Amino acid sequence: MSKILRINMSDLGHKWETLPKKYETLAGRAFTSAVIHNEVDPTCHPLREKNKFIISPGLLAGTMAPSSGRLSVGGKSPLTGGIKEANAGGLTATRLGYLGLQGVIIEGAPPVETKDWYSIYIGKDKCEVKKTSDYAGIGLYELIGKIWKDYPSKPGIIGCGIAGQRLHKGAGVFGNNVENTDPGRYAGRGGLGAVLGSKRIIAIISDASDGSRPEAKDKDRFEKGRKAFKKALDNHALTGRLNNEKGEPYGALKNYGTNVLQNILNEAGALPTRGFRTGRFEDAAKISGEAVHDLIDKTRKRFGDKAEGKYGHACHPGCVIACSNVVPYEKTGKAQVSPLEYETAWAFGTNLGIGVLHDVAEMNRICNDLGLDTIEAGNAIAMFMESGLIDFGDGPAAIELLMKGYHPESAKGALVCSGALTAGETLGVSRIPVVKGQALPAYDPRPIRGIGVTYATTTMGADHTAGYTIAAEIVGIKGTVTDPKAIDKAELSRTFQATTAYIDSTGYCLFIAFCVLDDDSGFGGMLDTVNGFLGKDIDVGEYGMAILKNERAFNKGAGFTAKDDRLPEFFYTEPFPPHNVVFEVSDEELDAVYKDM
Amino acid sequence: MKVFVKLYATLRKLAPPDNELGEFFEVEFNGATISDLIEQLGFTQEQARIVFVNDNQTSDLLSALRNGDRVVMFPPVGGG
Ligand code: SF4
Repeated sequence: MSKILRINMSDLGHKWETLPKKYETLAGRAFTSAVIHNEVDPTCHPLREKNKFIISPGLLAGTMAPSSGRLSVGGKSPLTGGIKEANAGGLTATRLGYLGLQGVIIEGAPPVETKDWYSIYIGKDKCEVKKTSDYAGIGLYELIGKIWKDYPSKPGIIGCGIAGQRLHKGAGVFGNNVENTDPGRYAGRGGLGAVLGSKRIIAIISDASDGSRPEAKDKDRFEKGRKAFKKALDNHALTGRLNNEKGEPYGALKNYGTNVLQNILNEAGALPTRGFRTGRFEDAAKISGEAVHDLIDKTRKRFGDKAEGKYGHACHPGCVIACSNVVPYEKTGKAQVSPLEYETAWAFGTNLGIGVLHDVAEMNRICNDLGLDTIEAGNAIAMFMESGLIDFGDGPAAIELLMKGYHPESAKGALVCSGALTAGETLGVSRIPVVKGQALPAYDPRPIRGIGVTYATTTMGADHTAGYTIAAEIVGIKGTVTDPKAIDKAELSRTFQATTAYIDSTGYCLFIAFCVLDDDSGFGGMLDTVNGFLGKDIDVGEYGMAILKNERAFNKGAGFTAKDDRLPEFFYTEPFPPHNVVFEVSDEELDAVYKDM
Repeated sequence: MKVFVKLYATLRKLAPPDNELGEFFEVEFNGATISDLIEQLGFTQEQARIVFVNDNQTSDLLSALRNGDRVVMFPPVGGG
């Protein structure tokens, strides 16, 4: 990869730039965060012309390295007011890798009075900013179908839906899936869909025809690493193959997806239920990954070839872990939504007290169609439940509320699309589970303190993926579990945050971490792919810390201080059953995570 | 003694066929420790990566079980 494409939405022009030396090893999150740090005024309004929308495929995207085709998008977040990187699979990263692009920087904005909508087409040495007002105001299932009709070369698509077009802060950036049947590959968090909307962009279409696979500088080392890494992933009980020698289910992610966590967090008493009130949900099993697996098997038996449900589904070409799924309707076997992930099943299920798989999947589908982040939307609905406007557990009412998001004249619809903080404050709720304005995901920080430290201190606002200490605190590394209730978690969170920043830049999916933390040959293989690709060794920790440094500096410039690195008050005061604990980590411990930044 | 067992994910195949997902089933247990129970149920310690006894996670598979204990076991699982 060697080029940057810069697009200016103020004059609809573009230029190709050679990659500056300082960006040579930077891709994915390292690239998006460096460009934001270097080029975006941290005090700017996130939904006006001074903000930029940055796209970067991970370093190895498009290569034969396993599970390496992830995409980073970034900008100043309208939800948090700070820096944002959001990460997803789909087709776009590998397409951009084939086109030799390290990044796309979209800046400026059309005049505010404009009524036009645009799409950006990127091909081999080709870029067009097209007026596509007919793409606006329609659901995303329809939109992706339309685009593949307009472009038979099967391009990658990312963009914003109705929520982003209306500049709502809960809007995510969608991506089409490999089959183009679902727009569910979301770089969901932080409202970046609204940043695209503010630039009047609906879709960015990446066409890799005439492109070529990116090549490693040190091919032998890359190849050796790739093989070792693939073997380690295949053999790990979490990331591994579908069945064992006896034909029984083997790899947990391939069989049950990320939603295999629903039951374990429930058993651990750390599954935030009904707006973070208790740690156990009596219907958790009904909406868990195991339940989805059973439903798929059942509909396969009943509908045979016509059944569309799937597990072991890959979110991008070349993922060997394949944790994604297609959830079928029980009655017809046809696809309802893809994927249903743990965070989403939690956000619309457990978090709302809804134990009906169909209802949960339906809300996921509506979000995919509207262009909404599911974690933010689920938490926003929870605010309606907290305020008493609808009841916890009422699936049909929750679906009806979410459907209001389609109607431009509905104030409730606008609220549900605006995130938990805006919804909660408007509705007079005092228990609003957000950090830096971003809603908490599916692990309660009271019984699992390391993840609480990550929520509080990451530059991203509450985000489990920013420093996934759950791997140490629940799953265990090399057979050793770090006590989840211990309160000295600064070092653990910091290490995870730096390592994650590195992984988010390589193109690798974060879920490789389970294998590389457990298996040294997997770790070595992964390093060989990255260093072999670059033709030089980079240090994981240093690389990750450099990213975090840029992000912290941006957030400081935007006005963030230590008081923003805290959890909401109720986590410190309301004991959480069944363990009846509060968040006991001291402010000093939280501040120790970034003591030198 | 009697213990109550819940198995998830890839371990579920070792539960009785009529056992509902997320429910305990009763086991007439002849051994003493968690690792004995794992052996009696027919899988390996490596497969029982995450173990809860009476709601608390434990990694000490040699600890003794008592009559009426509730034991929940998972293989390595994760995601996010
Ligand atoms: S493991 Fe899952 S989320 Fe990660 S790249 Fe593969 S399919 Fe996508």
